[in-house]
Amino acid sequence: MNTNNNIYTVVYTSVIVVVVAALLAFVSQSLKSRQQANEKADTISQMLTAAGFGTKAEFQKIGNAAVLDKYAQEIAEAFIVNPEGEKVADLPLDEVYSPSQLKAQNYKLKGSDVPELPVFVFKNGLTVVPVYGAGLWGPVWGYVAFEEDGVTIKGAYFDHESETAGLGARIKDDPAFQAEFQGENADWEADVKVFEIVKGGSPKNADGSEIMDNRIDAITGATMTSIGLENAIQTWLKGYSKYFSSKEQPAPAEEAAEEVTEE
Amino acid sequence: MNAKLKETILNPIFKGNPITVLVLGICSSLAVTVTLKGALVMALSVIVVCGISSLILSMLRNTIPGRVRIIVQLVVVAMMVILVDQILKSFEATYAIDKQLSVYIGLIITNCIVMGRIEAFALGNKPWPSFLDGVSNGAGYGLILLIVAFFRELLGSGTLFGVDVLNWMGYVPNNLVILPPFALILLGCIVWVQRSIQKDLQEK
Amino acid sequence: MEYLSLFVKSIFVDNMIFAYFLGMCSFLAVSKNVKTAAGLGVAVIFVLLVTLPINYLLNRFVLAPDALIPGVDLSFLSFIVFIAVIAAIVQVVEMVVEKFSPELYSSLGIFLPLIAVNCAILGGSLFMQQKDFGNLGEATVYALGSGLGWFLAIVALAAIREKMAYSNVPAALKGLGITFITVGLMGIAFMTFMGIQL
Repeated sequence: MNTNNNIYTVVYTSVIVVVVAALLAFVSQSLKSRQQANEKADTISQMLTAAGFGTKAEFQKIGNAAVLDKYAQEIAEAFIVNPEGEKVADLPLDEVYSPSQLKAQNYKLKGSDVPELPVFVFKNGLTVVPVYGAGLWGPVWGYVAFEEDGVTIKGAYFDHESETAGLGARIKDDPAFQAEFQGENADWEADVKVFEIVKGGSPKNADGSEIMDNRIDAITGATMTSIGLENAIQTWLKGYSKYFSSKEQPAPAEEAAEEVTEE
Repeated sequence: MNAKLKETILNPIFKGNPITVLVLGICSSLAVTVTLKGALVMALSVIVVCGISSLILSMLRNTIPGRVRIIVQLVVVAMMVILVDQILKSFEATYAIDKQLSVYIGLIITNCIVMGRIEAFALGNKPWPSFLDGVSNGAGYGLILLIVAFFRELLGSGTLFGVDVLNWMGYVPNNLVILPPFALILLGCIVWVQRSIQKDLQEK
Repeated sequence: MEYLSLFVKSIFVDNMIFAYFLGMCSFLAVSKNVKTAAGLGVAVIFVLLVTLPINYLLNRFVLAPDALIPGVDLSFLSFIVFIAVIAAIVQVVEMVVEKFSPELYSSLGIFLPLIAVNCAILGGSLFMQQKDFGNLGEATVYALGSGLGWFLAIVALAAIREKMAYSNVPAALKGLGITFITVGLMGIAFMTFMGIQL
């Protein structure tokens, strides 16, 4: 058989392409529901980890069904806000935003359209919001949990698709990096950075206390991932800033008192 | 086992090592060698992918038209990797493993060792030797990965497989070792050692 | 202005070789002298310039969620589509150049098959997908910039290697070994661009 014949070449290539495309499409479609179920449980366990209900490893151990149960117990309400901070729609309590949904909203957040920003409020008063952006090799995303005051960060969890193991991947694997977020504050003022990830972290006072409480230390050797994560946090929290600053107002007196004691 | 098969298996591990002698698969060896665990996962994946795709393409070798062979090779390799990824992703038990692996999927597909061995060996040999050639080239690649990762994790983080080895005695991790350029310098040293032992590899 | 900053950034800050270490295999193998290195560099620029805009259009109008048929996300096919496009274009370019300009073919031709497996080319397409470029112009500028960055890197290394031929390098380190170390040192030097925000 002459395998260099033109017709043979064209037919062979077409057959290979069609077979491969069909096979991949079939596998991807038939496994889609299972993959989505896994992804959903994974997303929920990330949100629960950010909110401090346990560690990611614990949630992995108890299995998907138990994670969903735990979430159903703890969640109070879920809704969508627009960048003006107004609630536009309710979300069903068993629905979360997958990374690909976040990606679509991220595109809108950058100015193409009005984004739909999900907010998840837990029964203990914590509010969890997602962030999403581009790391070094692929997307990075995660969840930031705020205390009831809408300023103090209770915890955070980040995930990525393909950052370098041991460097950029530390945003996910290094509990110490995620722990740095705890107790930091978001700065909701319009023209400053909401949150920063900078080499060295916050400048320090003489007694070692941090001057800026919206700054944490970047990861050594993972400059691009750190910048990418900072941009993700910056873009998304900016989108939520009106929602959170409107939440702050009901108790201005209490907050003022707090600041005095701090000084 | 005859001598030729034995040669096929042993040669890629040292004398004809894909990284230090054939200069294939450098990009990925820089990216995955910060930790030993990452290097191990990548090494195992490449052994599997390289072996199986060599096997499949060796079986197809007499039907592939010469002019489009690169497309056919790439499509078969990419299809296989994506299939494995999709299947691992759909089971609760393997989902966590897949998340670890998904980082390397792009690197595995574009790893030139896979393509290089298919082009140089599998297209001209019977399926069984091709499979062995693929596996042992993967192993030779994995060996270098593990050596580089050993030094980078030990000096860069003070740990091995995540277990503290040096830090407890006050070792300050050397951040330079973590950066990709240092992997190149280490590779240069490995080549140096290998060529001092095997003088016939030295360049004039 | 945006185009200019994207252009400069893709040459220096996002340099394919020194920031991402993509396309190392052919980078090391074909950098023995400046002339062939420049040939491969030009071929990389050329292929990037052709494949990246095509993959951009494919990504935007076929692969992205809801692009082709509403509700269908074909992005799981992106790897295979990008690779197939690159391999096909390299093959077509090779045939066209061979037919119409034998002169160019004799200087560029031998590099073309090498480029199909050059991860810098696939990396360019994948970065393009991840960076969400707003229009075709940005994607093209990015392709030109990263191609030029690659060209710059390989010519620089080739020049160093040519000079090094006169140096007294230990026998076992000659050739590949010293090249690895040189590239490592060049990489460390290029890291200074990392902190620049454009």
